[in-house]
Amino acid sequence: MAEEATFKCLRCGHEFKMPFDPKGPLVERACPKCQSNSVRRMKEEQKK
Amino acid sequence: MMDVGRHPNIKLLTYSEVEEVSGYVGNFNVKVRKKARYVDENECNACAECFKVCPVAVPDEFQQGFSSRKAIYMQLPQAVPSSYIIDMEACLGNNPIACGKCLEVCDKKCIDYDMQDEMIDLKVGAIIVATGMDVYDPTELDEYGYRSFENVITSMEFERLICAGGPAQGHFIRPTDEKTPKTIGFIQCVGSRSEKRGNRYCSNICCMNTIKDTVLLNDHYPGIEMKVFYMDIRAFGKAFEDLFRRSKEAGVKYIRGLPGEVREDPKTRDLIVTVENTTTGEVEQHELDMLVLSIGVLPRQDGSGIQKLLTLSRTADGFFMESHPKLKPVDAPTKGVFLAGCAEFPKDVKDSVTQASAAAARAEIILNADKIKVEAITSMVDKEMCTACEICYRACPYKCIEVDRENKIPAQIIEAACAGCGTCGAECPFGAVTMRHFTDDQIIAQIEAILDEDPMEKTVVFACNWCSYQGADFAGISRLQYPPNQRIIRTMCSGRVDEDFVLYAFKLGAPIVLVSGCHFADCHYIDANRWTQKRVEKLWDKLEKMGVRPERLQLEWISAAEGQKFAKVMRELEEMRKKVTKEEVEFTKNALKDLKFKREKRKAKLQADKAKAEKVAV
Amino acid sequence: MADKKNPGKEDDLRIGVFVCECGLNIAGSLDCEEVRKYAETLPDVAVSVLNKYTCADPGQNEIKRYVKEYDLNRVVVSSCTPLMHEPTFRACVADVGLNPYLFEMVNLREHCSWVHLHDRKAATDKAKDMVKIGVARARHLEPQIEKTVPVTKAALVIGGGVAGIQASLDLADSGIQVYLVEKDPSIGGIMAALDKTYPTMDCSI
Repeated sequence: MAEEATFKCLRCGHEFKMPFDPKGPLVERACPKCQSNSVRRMKEEQKK
Repeated sequence: MMDVGRHPNIKLLTYSEVEEVSGYVGNFNVKVRKKARYVDENECNACAECFKVCPVAVPDEFQQGFSSRKAIYMQLPQAVPSSYIIDMEACLGNNPIACGKCLEVCDKKCIDYDMQDEMIDLKVGAIIVATGMDVYDPTELDEYGYRSFENVITSMEFERLICAGGPAQGHFIRPTDEKTPKTIGFIQCVGSRSEKRGNRYCSNICCMNTIKDTVLLNDHYPGIEMKVFYMDIRAFGKAFEDLFRRSKEAGVKYIRGLPGEVREDPKTRDLIVTVENTTTGEVEQHELDMLVLSIGVLPRQDGSGIQKLLTLSRTADGFFMESHPKLKPVDAPTKGVFLAGCAEFPKDVKDSVTQASAAAARAEIILNADKIKVEAITSMVDKEMCTACEICYRACPYKCIEVDRENKIPAQIIEAACAGCGTCGAECPFGAVTMRHFTDDQIIAQIEAILDEDPMEKTVVFACNWCSYQGADFAGISRLQYPPNQRIIRTMCSGRVDEDFVLYAFKLGAPIVLVSGCHFADCHYIDANRWTQKRVEKLWDKLEKMGVRPERLQLEWISAAEGQKFAKVMRELEEMRKKVTKEEVEFTKNALKDLKFKREKRKAKLQADKAKAEKVAV
Repeated sequence: MADKKNPGKEDDLRIGVFVCECGLNIAGSLDCEEVRKYAETLPDVAVSVLNKYTCADPGQNEIKRYVKEYDLNRVVVSSCTPLMHEPTFRACVADVGLNPYLFEMVNLREHCSWVHLHDRKAATDKAKDMVKIGVARARHLEPQIEKTVPVTKAALVIGGGVAGIQASLDLADSGIQVYLVEKDPSIGGIMAALDKTYPTMDCSI
């Protein structure tokens, strides 16, 4: 089971979880709500 | 096959593997390991005397293990070159006590137990990758009972059983009792078109292959009862539908539905197939003598070796990616390399031949020229500025930069191999690398021209030449309307967009900046846009640390066909731009007021070092 | 505006701007003459010209005439997408002895007139801005030389299945030395293991 991380869409603000493997190859990301690719992985301290 | 063996212009290197490739289009240097076959292939006349005396028997891979071969063997009867080879793992060895029988009987003295691998250096101008495919192993689909029941075979095994040159001399028999089956079933899409196990893609060839098998069986054994379990029959090619009709006219029953379970009657070894017939909606049971699993095509499982040697890329399903899916379907992203056959995607014999001819023709364009022009838009290194840190080399998708960190040898671009994405320039931490025709100065001048009047009204858009710029073109061609506030700066690849450019735009008061490029699968520079993503992620962190909303830097992958998406993004960015306040832009400008370009910092450092050195000298 | 017809020092920038109406494709939704006039006011622009169709022969002839007459050393064509006509105009300026990389294109059609069909003022303002950005870039253009490298007339084919065999034969028949590398002891690949092949039902080997 792949690890999950929290992502935030910098277009519509939607926050969501997605599989994320820090060691795996980079994958193309899109917001499930607005399809924007401006998707940022939120680190622990940024989650609030 | 024979033609290849005797063509004066073809040097055949069998039992050989490519180990090293260097150089660039028109001028590749290749190292090939020709593995020892322990039989001199030029001398061997395939008299088979050695074969007769060899005491070892191992399963014959070519016959799918249905029959055995010797330790000294020919891969197939029509082998080219027509020469024996010794399987050293099976051979008892040239020990007078152990064996050495083949050596004794070989009149031509062409067996040599001490033969060594040979390294061969080649110089070539172009490379065609035709590394083929593997086939799906249906073991994991235990509902089909491939490993449990002997009378369940794969379509590859079927080929050998029906072949006149096969283990049963063409008498099609079932493994358990060596009788010709009276009823036979075929299960389609084994390992294909599945979300769960096997692959998602359609393997392309299996429908027609099964149809062919049914026609073949009907020709050999009229009256044999045949049932095909399928989800769709894809018979789209020239003359395909005719063959499908011939199969149906021969009485083959096509049942829509993939079996849920296969059981074996332990006494008769017959197979009982349970399937939901999705045409009638009823669950049916079929008793069959034999079952053929129509297995799908896999990419070569050893494909990563060639991929690395030639800096190719593979799509998510593992097949080699072409330069452009429609317009350059046989060109690999590396210049001078072309793709043919199933290495690119599953295809049948005709399509493989077609693509091979296309690849040959594409290669001939290069090979028939005495000299070829290389891209003028390449990167260039300021040697003095370079610290030989090797970051550019790591970022280069083509590995066309020579640099030596240990010995402090500054980077040098192999221009003929450089495709001009500019990722090295953007990644260089010292501003030592720039791109011809897309220089820092040119891009900075564009940013300044955009923002010197009414910067609050404008969105700065970086668009890559191949996808997002063309996506904007397509929006225009489709007359999709969007607000007039964005200004596009074209780069060859989004990988060129240096963080200096983005930060400089913010320093000059840009409310919103968009970096846009090709979707990951479409990147025209292998994987250069991965670096774009990493860089934008870093910039988001950087902006946030400065107290600037990271939302003001946007990232988007827009293909040449996505005019709709481009227009939508432009409309969304305009909404975002309107919400950016004067105060936050002023704050950003202030936060970045001391921004120095990487190259300026490096120059200042070099000057300081020089001054220091002069002082010491004085 | 730079001094007309009076070339100064050799490294002085002398930019010619050509604004294309593209029939009504551009002129239909923005004021091309206003754009042309605006371009004249930009630094280092020696001349600014309006064309009905810059890409057509008369338009190209105008570019050539002005390059000679005004001794232009940069050319900016404001018309359509460079993906379409950049090669056309590069060849055109090369014809009158200008390095083709001293040419710059502004995409007024796909990126402006066609996407802002209903706001003439806004489209015209944006077009002016785009020309300004194009001229700013043009100032920094440098000549580039397309280098050539010699070619080794030989090909490597990796894989001796049906595709590799066909590619090798085609190349070899056209007089090219081919090295066909196959991992197995014999060529033939998957194809050789097949009995008959569809749709013609003939033998695979």
